[in-house]
Amino acid sequence: MQTTIPSTPSVLSSLLRADFTTQWRNRRSVMLVVLVPVVILISWKGLVAKLGGTFVLSNCITIGLNAIGLMGYSNAIARDRDKGVFQRLRVAPVPSWSIMISRLLVQLAMIFIVTTAIFVAGVYFDKINLSPAGYVLGYVTAIIGGAVYLALGQAIVGLIKNPETVNAVTRLTYFIFIMIGMFGELGMLGHKLGEVVRWSPYGTVKRMLSASMEPSTWNQDTTFYLLATIGYTILFTTLGIKWFKWNTR
Amino acid sequence: MDNLNKNSVLQVEELSISYGDFKAVRNVSFDVKAGEIFGLLGPNGAGKTSTLSAIEGLLKPQSGNITVAGFSIKDKPLHVRANIGVQLQATSFQPELSVVEILRLYGGIYGVEMTDEKLRVILENIKLETAASKRFGQLSGGEQQRVSLVIAMIHSPMLVLLDEPTTGLDPQSRRQLWERMEALREKDHGILLTTHSMEEAEAVCDRIAIIDHGQVINIDTPEALIDKHRHDPEVISASRKGKITLEDVFIGLTGKAIRS
Repeated sequence: MQTTIPSTPSVLSSLLRADFTTQWRNRRSVMLVVLVPVVILISWKGLVAKLGGTFVLSNCITIGLNAIGLMGYSNAIARDRDKGVFQRLRVAPVPSWSIMISRLLVQLAMIFIVTTAIFVAGVYFDKINLSPAGYVLGYVTAIIGGAVYLALGQAIVGLIKNPETVNAVTRLTYFIFIMIGMFGELGMLGHKLGEVVRWSPYGTVKRMLSASMEPSTWNQDTTFYLLATIGYTILFTTLGIKWFKWNTR
Repeated sequence: MDNLNKNSVLQVEELSISYGDFKAVRNVSFDVKAGEIFGLLGPNGAGKTSTLSAIEGLLKPQSGNITVAGFSIKDKPLHVRANIGVQLQATSFQPELSVVEILRLYGGIYGVEMTDEKLRVILENIKLETAASKRFGQLSGGEQQRVSLVIAMIHSPMLVLLDEPTTGLDPQSRRQLWERMEALREKDHGILLTTHSMEEAEAVCDRIAIIDHGQVINIDTPEALIDKHRHDPEVISASRKGKITLEDVFIGLTGKAIRS
């Protein structure tokens, strides 16, 4: 009998088809991930003149990225792990990394969708227009920023096995991030807490995004925010990989 | 390789698995031949799932060798996985995917071309023609088991691992599953089955290994096991209706105490 080891591209394309189908079937939660930052963007229309278009856009994209990593990705991983979906895939002739790469590519698509929805809503409702370079760099930094929250989600799933507890913890983390992040950015939490927010994953991602959408404002501080963002990603990814177990038993 | 092992699709030799200081499996050896249904029986915590996980490549053993279809799991793990079909205890498929989408996914993963005609034949075989577009999460327990079994067989593997496949099934579904196992045996596939049902083991298994505290206590045909132990005092004391059954032998060999 001949042993067939399927090629990695063929395995990856099958996994991607299945993962995108699953995401499509969960489009209600996808809509929520997109709608929350878009609604905030529309409701902040009055702040555009005062704080600037990139300030508003970067806040909303950061909130969207938060939701993708913390609410979408981590909960899907926790549920599928609990149901034995990963174990079933791992007993097939599939390299384990391809299972996660497929999941992450779906999240990459989600980052594009959320960022695009916010850019479009920004133009349509808030009349915020960026330069072509601003849009391109906005997408690039959205991917870099999105990686922080995906890594944070991975670390939470690594630390907690029960999918319901993962759900509760990620919701709480999401709520804390967006509330403290938004109010801190608006200067409503005082100087000290404002500084903490500035160097938190919310603040660094938000500032990096804001500067990338207006490339002429990129300065040394922004480079430090970028480095801090990459540092957070490396830290959370390391913890996420170290703690992660493919099954819950 | 001796004559006995020439047609073995699975060989487990001196397998040992530890979790920290706890030795879950100690020097376990057995083989499964082509066209044989081999039962791995044991109380909870006896080491069945650890043994199965090591064969599936999900667990790295401390020592010992596992060979599937001539491939060592240490040297050729992907070749081993390509030659085994697995039905796990847990649900194990995304509930949002339809039956056809799951078949296409695993067809792609195992390198099996899934034409519309092939899909139709598979669905007809498992009597799920009308449920083709139904999502996995909407199927009944019996239907889910049928999908799970057909996925385990989608690439026509030499060895099929079935981990307590009839748990929670009604008698009709259970009988149907036994018939499917017997059909696989007819086609010369080797089957390694774990079960808590002695009735099932007696009904379908050609040979049985009883495992307890991580060690194989006995390997033989169900009939030979009963004959060999029918006069053991522990077995006689376990007997409920005078006639010695495989369950009496099992209780006699592994004890009456409930395991966690």
